[in-house]
Amino acid sequence: MLRYVFLTLSLLISTTALSASFEITVVTLENETRQQDGQSFAGITVQPQRPVIRAVELALYESATLFDTLGIDATIQQLSLQPESSIEQQLQSVPHSSLLILDLPPTIMEQAAEIADQLQMIAFNVRNSDDYLRESLCLPHVFHAIPSDRMYFDALGQFLIHRGWRKVLLVQGPSERDIQRASSLVASLKKFGITIVDQRTFTLSHHPDDRDKNKPEFLTGGVSYDVVAVIDSKKDYGRYLQYSTRSARPVVGDVGLTPVSWHFALERYGAPQLNERYRQFLDNEPLGAQVAMTDAEFAAWSAVKLITNSINTRGRQANLDLLSVLTDPLSQVDLYKGTRGSIRHWNHQLRQPVLLATPDTVIAVAPMPKFLHPKHYVDTLGIDEPESDCQLSR
Amino acid sequence: MFYPATSALVIKQPSVALTLLFPLVLSLAIAMPALAATAVISNERSGDLVFMDAVGETTDVIKLCNRPRGMAQHKSTNSLYVACSDDGNVIEFNLDNKQPARLFAELPGAMSVAIHESSNRLFVTNEGAAKATVLDIASGNVLATLPTGHEPDGVALTEDGSLIFIASENAGIVHVYDGINYQPRQEIITNLRPRRLTIRNQELWVSSEMGSRVEIFNTENLQKIDEIVFAPRGFRSEQLTPVDILFDASGDTAFVALGSANHVVIIDAVKREILKYILVGRRPWGLGLTPDGKRLFVLNGLSDDVTIINLDTRRPVKTSRTGLVPHSVEIIE
Repeated sequence: MLRYVFLTLSLLISTTALSASFEITVVTLENETRQQDGQSFAGITVQPQRPVIRAVELALYESATLFDTLGIDATIQQLSLQPESSIEQQLQSVPHSSLLILDLPPTIMEQAAEIADQLQMIAFNVRNSDDYLRESLCLPHVFHAIPSDRMYFDALGQFLIHRGWRKVLLVQGPSERDIQRASSLVASLKKFGITIVDQRTFTLSHHPDDRDKNKPEFLTGGVSYDVVAVIDSKKDYGRYLQYSTRSARPVVGDVGLTPVSWHFALERYGAPQLNERYRQFLDNEPLGAQVAMTDAEFAAWSAVKLITNSINTRGRQANLDLLSVLTDPLSQVDLYKGTRGSIRHWNHQLRQPVLLATPDTVIAVAPMPKFLHPKHYVDTLGIDEPESDCQLSR
Repeated sequence: MFYPATSALVIKQPSVALTLLFPLVLSLAIAMPALAATAVISNERSGDLVFMDAVGETTDVIKLCNRPRGMAQHKSTNSLYVACSDDGNVIEFNLDNKQPARLFAELPGAMSVAIHESSNRLFVTNEGAAKATVLDIASGNVLATLPTGHEPDGVALTEDGSLIFIASENAGIVHVYDGINYQPRQEIITNLRPRRLTIRNQELWVSSEMGSRVEIFNTENLQKIDEIVFAPRGFRSEQLTPVDILFDASGDTAFVALGSANHVVIIDAVKREILKYILVGRRPWGLGLTPDGKRLFVLNGLSDDVTIINLDTRRPVKTSRTGLVPHSVEIIE
């Protein structure tokens, strides 16, 4: 089902125009029960999830001045995938030059990205941080705008070293995703020389037989640590560890101090202006004061702004052929995080700073001081080129 | 804080601070001649103006408004125009009696200001409103509202006032307007996040904060002439975030504050060659130069201090405390 939500931002054609068109297709899943993602027991929303389209619209709203100047005609459309029908046929129903923003859960995102690559359509993963996708989707036309789990956890690891909190008790959930993400966290912590004093698994059961796994005081007792790191992808247990640990220690990871790519309370780098615009730019749908882009929305916004900003960094005579834009090292994006972003040529991951934040404050912006990289300031975050199994540029 | 919108305030106070400091000023004047200048520093977070003598001693602190940022001097009336961003107005501050004199209201997100003295006009960028406002200083009337891209910051004029340049951070564009009829002339596409604009001879210098460079355009044909990319030892390009640009009186030497790199750079503006990088405090943005051209004031926004550089030796000679988050500095005589 193809739905045009927003048409023709710019009509001014100046004499110096590129006279190009820029089409964006936001791909969603028909009838996805998205609200279940962010909800915990008793209908409490612990991780708000929103469709990324608002952030894409914001990116085009911001791009309008430049696009008007150059006569670039930008359009957004939405493709709601029906899982029973052929994904290939559905992707072929949108213009082939579209920038595909894949606002999809992991499995179907993986399928859609593979098909997009076969069709030689440019696709951005904006929602899935899983490390394995950076390897399974090591494809010339596929890009990742949301940080990988390793980027998030490397940021956390650097922060812990910076603070001198070198002994970590790791508490994780039992799900498959928790196990995968815990192994990413372990790899990050070891990379920076942090000691994991013990690795324990929690259970949601209240049964007295399981009290060593469900009572925070027991789960975090019997061992000495500087900090408790929690992997709880659904945020349905970890929240209760804070202020209940056996030793009075901070909690980090999926609760407490959390690595994120965007935050409502970032007060530097022009971020307040971007946050204000996000809340206010749709006259009829203003958002509340503490609402900001989710990491998926920020990723979608970043992907579009990378294309826009490339005109500034590559020069106006350059064309808007998406593949040449995205593989050009001169293409850079102002991410409102103090350091410009760009695409890692080996695995097509958008490099960017990562924020360490509590629910109400940004505590630090990684890379932390003194974490140095021989080539690029932010490449201490995430799998680096020599370690990566994905080598697209070779 | 409330000030009458048009009528001048006439409350006068004896200048106690000046009287008390006279012996100090005198003794320093003997040690270092030609240091009569005073630096006025706007502090975003403490909402005040700090007055400081040329050797870095604070002589006065005046609480002014919410988030004072950009400032410009009107020399013939000895006034300072201060953008109060969180109040959405510009205050005309009388430097003779150190009192606010007038208030130009309804200027949302006022960020940077510029003055064109011969035509007596005030130019204000409105950060959150994607526009700039031109006002007639005498009447306070709005002469024009100029649409820009999102987050307009720096505004500059040619000496004759015939062209207006406004940098839009988000759009990556410098909008050029006719300074007489306010019609749009052209859009100059810049590198990422253009911040401040300064003109020497027929060159428009634009700092690109996220592009880590200064771009130079010809003010006649508006074409790009050159760019200066910064690379102090031990830094990666992406850590360099230039903001304020300042020329000396001759226009032959430029100073650029490098933000996250904690350095200020001295440039031979004629040859476009870097002469020296000087380490200062944290996140330098605002720059000011004493009229004798001997001292550079560098405001360090994140360490709440100012580094004073002796330009004969090109070395920092003093670091002094400012208010909280110092933003801009104007040097008055």
